[in-house]
Amino acid sequence: MMIDSREASEALTEVNEIARRVRQSTIYQLSSLFIITWGVLVAVGNLTSFLWPRSAGYFWLAVYIAGIAGSFAISAISYSKTRIRTFDVRFLIAFLLFIAFGIFTCVLGHFTAPRQIGTFWALYFMLVYTIGGLWVGHAYIAIGLSITLLTLIGYFFLDHWFEPWMALVNGGGLVLGGLWMRRN
Amino acid sequence: MADLDDIIHQPLRLKIMAALNALPPAAAGLEFSRLKKLTGATDGNLGAHIETLARAGYVTIEKAFVGKKPQTTVTATAVGRGAFARHVATLQEIIAASGRQDRD
Repeated sequence: MMIDSREASEALTEVNEIARRVRQSTIYQLSSLFIITWGVLVAVGNLTSFLWPRSAGYFWLAVYIAGIAGSFAISAISYSKTRIRTFDVRFLIAFLLFIAFGIFTCVLGHFTAPRQIGTFWALYFMLVYTIGGLWVGHAYIAIGLSITLLTLIGYFFLDHWFEPWMALVNGGGLVLGGLWMRRN
Repeated sequence: MADLDDIIHQPLRLKIMAALNALPPAAAGLEFSRLKKLTGATDGNLGAHIETLARAGYVTIEKAFVGKKPQTTVTATAVGRGAFARHVATLQEIIAASGRQDRD
């Protein structure tokens, strides 16, 4: 069978495009589970902080511990199903460095009000989603920018109801975003 | 120059093999529904071309029940991955040869 270079080039373009879509779809399928889990935890963290503000620090510590443990569990379960590794020790190190820098910034920036702290962490996480989305896929950019905008609305216009708002838009937004990624 | 693989060269089969080869060799393959979405094929068309690839030994088809729902998973074999790699190399050779002819 003989084909010319134009047909060969078209075939290779098709191969590359399909490979790109498979990679993106695989990333969406696997990462959406992490995003939904963290969405539920963030919603719980915000609601418990609203209901019991004096213990908010403990609740958020519990959220992070549950999130990391849950992420390990999801990674192990998805590996057993797909044989694709999602755990990489570099991810854990990057996450811990990310958290450490966030704490450092909160201390240095004297963020003391719960609304300031809540806004900072949401914007900080969504910045990573948005930047990561430039490489990984548009769903991350859409989630990152939407939650950033809704967080800022909460910060500037909602005072006492900030945490329930964040439970809805940050936690709920991540859950919806994760479900949307699974449909894509 | 090596010949193009007649089985893989058909457009939908090329898409199927490209999709399956994009996964790591140890990965569990792709579900039929996901493959359908990725290739944009109809059920019947996709099923027929997967059967052709399976008869050539390029893919394996695994049918199972997840709960009460039937699930078909298609995985590229080592033979299929090799054939696909050779096919892609031949396509690249055709483009390179054309480039050399244009320069001469």
